[in-house]
Amino acid sequence: MSDHTNKNIYLPYMATVSEVIDETPDVRTLKLVFQDEQVRENFSFRAGQFAEYSAFGAGESTFCIASSPTRKGFIECCFRSVGRVTEALRRLEVGDTMGVRGPYGNSFPIEEFFGKNLLFVTGGIALPPLRTLIWNCLDWRDKFGDITIVYGARTESDLVYKRELQEWQERADVRLVKTVDPGGNGPEWDGKVGFVPTVLEEAAPSADSTIALVCGPPIMIKFTLPVLEKLGFTDDQVYTTLENRMKCGLGKCGRCNVGNVYVCKDGPVFTARQVKAMPLEF
Amino acid sequence: MQKYISRQNFTKLLDQLIATGTRVVAPRMNAGTPLYEPLASSAEMVMDQLPRRSAKEAYFPVCEDIMTYEKEGQKVSITDIDPARFPETVLVGVRPCDACAIPVLDAVFSWDYKDEFFLERRRKTTIVGLACTTSDDACFCTAVGLSPADTKGSDLFLTPLEGGGYVCETFSDKGEALINDHTSLFNEPNNATPLPLAQPYTEKFDLKKVKVWLDEHFEDSSWDEIALRCVGCGACAFVCPACHCFDIVDEGTEKAGKRRKNWDACGFWKFTHHASGHNPRDQQPKRYRNRIMHKFKYYDDKFGQTLCTGCGRCIRVCPVGIDIAQIVEEISKK
Repeated sequence: MSDHTNKNIYLPYMATVSEVIDETPDVRTLKLVFQDEQVRENFSFRAGQFAEYSAFGAGESTFCIASSPTRKGFIECCFRSVGRVTEALRRLEVGDTMGVRGPYGNSFPIEEFFGKNLLFVTGGIALPPLRTLIWNCLDWRDKFGDITIVYGARTESDLVYKRELQEWQERADVRLVKTVDPGGNGPEWDGKVGFVPTVLEEAAPSADSTIALVCGPPIMIKFTLPVLEKLGFTDDQVYTTLENRMKCGLGKCGRCNVGNVYVCKDGPVFTARQVKAMPLEF
Repeated sequence: MQKYISRQNFTKLLDQLIATGTRVVAPRMNAGTPLYEPLASSAEMVMDQLPRRSAKEAYFPVCEDIMTYEKEGQKVSITDIDPARFPETVLVGVRPCDACAIPVLDAVFSWDYKDEFFLERRRKTTIVGLACTTSDDACFCTAVGLSPADTKGSDLFLTPLEGGGYVCETFSDKGEALINDHTSLFNEPNNATPLPLAQPYTEKFDLKKVKVWLDEHFEDSSWDEIALRCVGCGACAFVCPACHCFDIVDEGTEKAGKRRKNWDACGFWKFTHHASGHNPRDQQPKRYRNRIMHKFKYYDDKFGQTLCTGCGRCIRVCPVGIDIAQIVEEISKK
């Protein structure tokens, strides 16, 4: 829904917080409903796109749109409270107003994945950027082959979307492999114990006709890519979504670049081949 | 269109513009420093000194309101900025190194999404360029392929003549309008001799070669050497006619305030610092590398030009004596 008319491109849409969900002690989901009826009806985005969310008085922060484009009438964002803006966003209550600019950036080429198996590999707070695509694919379930989700966090309490993990675990058409780092498991833990790359290697999903979608902290990505390679994935079969600090989201403010690649315009979704061609600046 | 204007009529032109409510921005002395600033009268103008900062502030302010917000109960209302508040401006005495940077910035603010704050101010600004007849050790416009008489970016261009007065050449409708609206002040060109142009730098850099080296040397030990002295003060970006990075910040309280677009600089450590603590450019050489890369490679990759006009301002203000011309020259010889 790019707006290229001669309007103020920095003006946010106004949205009402309709639900607040605590995912972990410091990670929160906000469900947002656009206040303007026309925007509510017309706002459309693709899985993988991001937005600038504002807490007035504190400023804007960049996160992915964490809900699925197939679910209409609202969007969700999910963030950890670590800075001025996210702490202000955390102070918002149901009924409060916040600003949303977007959707920005490219998206997962979901149509190219039709007919293929999907392997999602993610860790910690990096599930939200893939969760939008996971639900998009689950809502279009018959268009895809096997769906495998490998998700890990440091501890059980650091897992986000716990209720959805439960749902995916119970579905016959999804294979969920959940794990926590050694020492992060409580007595009731029914998943694996181990780091994501190790658990991925053990789970050994087939690379045949499969697209891998990876998102996680740099350290997880670093050790996951070689495992995928070992499993037979080529760099064109692997997608990831990058994040860098942004302000405008529009290719102007000059800070999200990795070499000559602007994460806000050329990304945030890239193939492993594209990422490997970039200098180490993310 | 080519015309002649005497020195006396030129001051009349500026005073008439000022009298009719046009904002006239030109080099003037501010506490001993020449700066492009709005004039109260043509008498304030100093044409013979290169302003310390570039002319970009006239159409890309250091701080600019982009909206205001007000909270009442749980509702927040925002108010857009009315572009009518941007003043009709004639920017006078603009050096070629400043004027040549204007189309370069136009490209950034108009590709894909249109930044109307920049573009509307630009539409309302007439650029009156001025050929340079003097230069100093820091000037290197000729080295990056421009010249002291480069007319790029100018709507009207002035060439100073022996014995005073200027040849005025128009390069756009805006430039012609400025003459047509004040025809009595202009005469047909005479055969007075133009003052000799400045001769800033004898050598011309091989910018293609510079780019080829940059293409292949993101990782290179010389970045540490090049940027060892850099203290990350950001002065180079603030005086640069082509630097355009900005920040978006809220100023005010939760109840009311404004959102602003403020100049920023890639030399600042916080520029790319994530809230998590991670920083992709965590050391000064990485930040300085981005400055050089953006100017001589990234911008070129995207828009096919160099993001440096050789004005030399960053060299003049750098507190630790970093000389970008020297750096680029050395790269061109690698």
